[in-house]
Amino acid sequence: MNEILKVEGLVKRYKELIALDHLSISVNEGEIFGLLGPNGSGKSTCINCILSLLEYDKGSIRVFGKEMSPKAYELKSQIGIVPQEVAVYDSLTVYENIDFFCGLYIRDKEERKKLVREAIDFVALNDFVKFRPKKLSGGLKRRLNIACGIVHKPKLIFFDEPTVAVDPQSRNRILEGIGELRDKGATIIYTSHYMEEVEQLCDRIAILDKGNTIAEGTIEELRNMIKKSEIISIEAGGLEEAVLEKVRELKNVYSLDYDGSTLKVEAGSGRHNVIDIVNILQEAGYSLRKIFSEQPTLNDVFLELTGKTLRDE
Amino acid sequence: MFRYFLLKVLRSRNYLFWSMVFPLVIMFCMNMAFGNIYDTENSIDPIRTVLVKESGSFFAEQFAELVKSMADEGAERQLFDLSEADSAEQAKEMLLAHEAMLLFVAGEDELEVFLSDDHSMTSGIVSGTVADSYRTNFRLMTDVYENAERLPEEAVSEIMDNMSKELSYTMQSKGIFSDSPNPYVWYFYSTLVMGMFFNAMTGVNLVSDLKADVSGEAMRLSVSPGGKGKMIVYAFIARLIPSLLISGIHLAVMKLVFKVPLGDDPLRLAAFVLCSDIFAIGFGVICGLVFKGNLVARENKTTGMLMASVFLSGEMISQLPGIIERSAPIINDINPATVMNMALYRLAMYNNDYDFYGNMIKLVAASVVFLVIGTVILRRERYASL
Repeated sequence: MNEILKVEGLVKRYKELIALDHLSISVNEGEIFGLLGPNGSGKSTCINCILSLLEYDKGSIRVFGKEMSPKAYELKSQIGIVPQEVAVYDSLTVYENIDFFCGLYIRDKEERKKLVREAIDFVALNDFVKFRPKKLSGGLKRRLNIACGIVHKPKLIFFDEPTVAVDPQSRNRILEGIGELRDKGATIIYTSHYMEEVEQLCDRIAILDKGNTIAEGTIEELRNMIKKSEIISIEAGGLEEAVLEKVRELKNVYSLDYDGSTLKVEAGSGRHNVIDIVNILQEAGYSLRKIFSEQPTLNDVFLELTGKTLRDE
Repeated sequence: MFRYFLLKVLRSRNYLFWSMVFPLVIMFCMNMAFGNIYDTENSIDPIRTVLVKESGSFFAEQFAELVKSMADEGAERQLFDLSEADSAEQAKEMLLAHEAMLLFVAGEDELEVFLSDDHSMTSGIVSGTVADSYRTNFRLMTDVYENAERLPEEAVSEIMDNMSKELSYTMQSKGIFSDSPNPYVWYFYSTLVMGMFFNAMTGVNLVSDLKADVSGEAMRLSVSPGGKGKMIVYAFIARLIPSLLISGIHLAVMKLVFKVPLGDDPLRLAAFVLCSDIFAIGFGVICGLVFKGNLVARENKTTGMLMASVFLSGEMISQLPGIIERSAPIINDINPATVMNMALYRLAMYNNDYDFYGNMIKLVAASVVFLVIGTVILRRERYASL
């Protein structure tokens, strides 16, 4: 697979504060690459450096195999950006906004007209083309924001937290749209601190913390990086300490919590974790009401790698 | 891109209100407040006057001719609504009956003036001025005539020439801040300048359109393959055209509706408007770059600057620039609104080259500096912080 973006050893300092600390990522053609991290972890700073909006202190950024710079207009013409804030002109209509931003890339009027129509169809804003952004709901504004960023059919698209403050229906529509863009051949870099979105959407993920990449890979690869592979919850009343001790002594179990009615066990990879625990409890004569087994989430991955949750900040 | 930049400006209600509508409202208000004073100062209803010629002397005949010429309905300024009476007694009865307000009795070599008990202040001043001027001039001419043989011919000729000239000192410049300006005209000029100066808001807006660390829209522009230089030129012209149109509307309203004199040099007036509008936008660009915060914060801070500048230029107190000139002249020298006001006032009222060009040079120099600095900063495509 072609490497579309390669960032190596990127360092960005704001006086004493190190925003990016030797950050390295690589993105392959045709994938949705997630940049996941809490607020202030350096996601937006990383994107701004890649887009040559920010001066950085050290490192290298290559896009489509070429060095990225403020005057790399050829590279810029193949990039689209959907910023975190809705970045459209309030005094222009939906159509005019999309046409304006398309005009920055496409000179030919006829081609532009066609692309603007396609973008409007894509974000389903056909009924609102003559509306000014102020008249649109939050979700519709977000769609307009996306249309302005993808109208020129870029090969590499940056989505910087595009679903912040969006209702669930619009969020699903946006996520579906991003999937469609990938299916049409675009490479997408998606930043978010919503792990559910990233899990649902991204082919590969880099987890950022304090300006550094603490893990990079597919969801499966990330899950395998941590000790915990299963979270088992069993509803059972009146468990004695001796029984809990037996469970604690099982090979894969490394954490146990019992609140008097529910036993919560975190276990490492093993095929029979649930069966082993259930056997111990049944042998001791306890009746079990409900049993759950969950896979670790990205938040668990993040928690184990950093000692804090993604939404701590 | 240019079309959309232009549309953006033309659809900005805030800009249109402060730059176009607000000055027009102020002009209408000022016309209501000062229009009557101006009309009173510049128009006098003909005074009902009776003339009695008691002698056939040269003195009486000439005075009668003078008064009749001032009562001519076809004259540029008709001062008297004249009727004649056979005797002073008959004329005095007319005064008592309030049929007339003013009575001139021209004798052998003397002139008497009578006023009715309901005479206006204007009729008192006019009658006194006419009678005194006639007496003085007649005696002077008589002296010259009687002594002509003893005076050199050139001296006689010069005296006669000077007498025939209607010298006016009211348009004399004695220094840029030495006179209290004509308040009616001054307030209109100040309001025009205020409108032009408010174009600075579009300069602030231009910064927001083009500087990626100020707005998301500018960020989109910065990551696009378009050259920044072209964007700056388009954005600037898209602001200059509406500014010039609005200034044109203000000037037309001043001239055609409120009859405000705008001088007799339209070319220099146009040059003044062009320079002032460019200066105002440049000033706004610098404010937009210097002030921190989002667009609204930058606009608010700039509005504060504009208000202060316009106030110090005498928009509310016409004598203020004169007072400032005596205590802290540097403020007048660097206050943009004062510089624009004085350039226009000296051009339109005095046609004074020195003061006009002096102020225009300041405007042009400041505009060049502002635009060069603005362009250099706005052309940057990388930022220390976003």
